[in-house]
Amino acid sequence: MNKIKYLLISFSLFTLHAQAQEADSLLKALDSGAVATTVDAAFKSTHVVLSHSSETQKKHDLDLRIRHHFGDIGGRFGSAHTLYGLDVASDLFIGLDYGVSDRFTVAVGRSKQDELYNFSGKYRLLRQKTNESMPINMTLFAQMGWVAREPLSDSEFAKYSDRFSYFFQSIISRKLSSRLSLQVMPALLIRRAPEDTRDPENLFSVGFAGRMKITKRLSFIADYTVVNGLSRPKDLTQAYYNPFGVGLEIETGGHIFSLNFMNSEYIVENNFIPNTKKSWSKGGVRFGFTISRNFTLFKSKNEDPDKKSKIY
Amino acid sequence: MVAFLLLNFSANAQNFLSKNLRIGLFSSTPLEDIRAVSDNGSAVLVAKSREIAVQLNVKTLEFDRKLMQEHFNENYIESDKYPYAKFKGVIDQPVDFSKDGDYAVTVTGVLSVHGVDKKRTIPGKVTISNGVVQISTEFKVACVDHDIKIPKLVFTKIAEFITIKAEGKLNPLK
Repeated sequence: MNKIKYLLISFSLFTLHAQAQEADSLLKALDSGAVATTVDAAFKSTHVVLSHSSETQKKHDLDLRIRHHFGDIGGRFGSAHTLYGLDVASDLFIGLDYGVSDRFTVAVGRSKQDELYNFSGKYRLLRQKTNESMPINMTLFAQMGWVAREPLSDSEFAKYSDRFSYFFQSIISRKLSSRLSLQVMPALLIRRAPEDTRDPENLFSVGFAGRMKITKRLSFIADYTVVNGLSRPKDLTQAYYNPFGVGLEIETGGHIFSLNFMNSEYIVENNFIPNTKKSWSKGGVRFGFTISRNFTLFKSKNEDPDKKSKIY
Repeated sequence: MVAFLLLNFSANAQNFLSKNLRIGLFSSTPLEDIRAVSDNGSAVLVAKSREIAVQLNVKTLEFDRKLMQEHFNENYIESDKYPYAKFKGVIDQPVDFSKDGDYAVTVTGVLSVHGVDKKRTIPGKVTISNGVVQISTEFKVACVDHDIKIPKLVFTKIAEFITIKAEGKLNPLK
C-alpha cells in the first residue's frame, strides 16, 4: 500500500514538474527564430577624439558641434608663459551634422586654421547584428575641404583648385561588449601641391580607435592614425607626426562633452592627417574639448498612438 | 461518457501561443510623455495548468525618437546585458478555455526586467472566442524595483512608475 502511495505521489510530482517546464520550453521554442536586432551605439557620438566613428546621426536629428584645440602644454610654446597652452587656440571648429536618414548624414563645418570649410557625407553601409549574421559596422565617409584664407606666398594656390582636398575613408567597427568597441579606418586623402614636393598628393592613412565605457555615461576614448611610412617618405625636411588623441567622453542625454588630449593642432581630417607637426614626446600635446548638442528638427509623422512621445 | 471525458481532456490539454503580442510602455511626467511599443512579444498559455509566460526582446521596442531609443537601451534597460523582459505566472481563477467566455483574472508570478526578478500579481482580461484566446493587461512597474536608475538630471522627464500594456491573440497550438 505504501509503495503504491509513493508511486502515486512521485508520479503526480513528475507531472507537476513537467507542467511547470512546459510554458518555459514552449517559449524557448517560440523564440528560437527570434528577430535579429542591430547592435547599436558602438560609440555614443559621431566622433571619437580626432577621427569620425562609425556612428551616424539619427533621422532628422541635427548635431551642433563645437570643438577647440588649445596650444602646446610643454616645449618652446608651452609652459606657464601660455598657461600650458590655454592662452593659445591652435584650432577652433564649429559644425552641423544632419541625419537625412538613419543611415545617411550630411555635414558642414568651418575651422579657424586655414579658414577651412568642410563638406561631408557619411553613409552607414553595414550594421552589426546580434545574431552575428553581420559581425561589423561599416560606414563610408567622404569629405571635401576648401581652404578660404589668403595665400601665404605668391606660389601658393597657383591654381584655385589647389585649395581643395578630398578625403575618403571606410570606417569599420565592432562593439565587442557593452563596454568595449574597436574601430579601424583606412583612408585616402587627395590634395594638391603639398608644402614638400616629395610629400605625395595621394596620402594613405590607417586609423585605429577605441571606446571603453567606465560607467554607463562616461567613457575613455582614443584614436591613433598611422600616416608616416605608408605612402609618405620618412625623410621629409619638415617632420610630421602621427595624430594620437585620448579623451574622456561624458554623455548626458542629448549632450556629449569630451575632454581630450592630443598632439594634433588641427581638427578636421583634411588638415590633421597630413599636417600634424607636434609630437607627444616633445611637449606638443595639447588640451581640447568637444561640445555636441543634438536637436530633433521635425516631429515624427508616426500616427501610432502607442508610440507617440510628447514634450510639454 | 468516455468520449466526453476524452474530449474534455483534449480541449483542456490545449496550448495557446502568440509571436506578435503588442507590448508597450508609457512614462508620464508633467514635462514629458514617452511611449514605446513592440509587436514582437511572444506568449505561451498552457490551458491545463493555467500557466502563462510572456517574453519580449526589449530591443524591439520602438520609440518616436531614435536617440531616445538608444538611450533607453544603453543607459536604462541595458539590453546588451539583459535582452529579455519576461513574465511567468499562473492564472489565479479557473478559466474554461474550451468554451467562449470573458474573464477578469489576476496572474501571480515572477516579472523579470533588467535582470531583476520581482514577484507580482497582475490584473488582466482573458477572452475566449472560437478557440482563440485574447489576453490584455495593464500594470505599473517601479524603476527602482528593477534597479533601473534615473539620474537627477532627467528626473523630471522620466516617470518613477512606468505603465506597461500588453495585448494580443493566442492561437491554439496544433
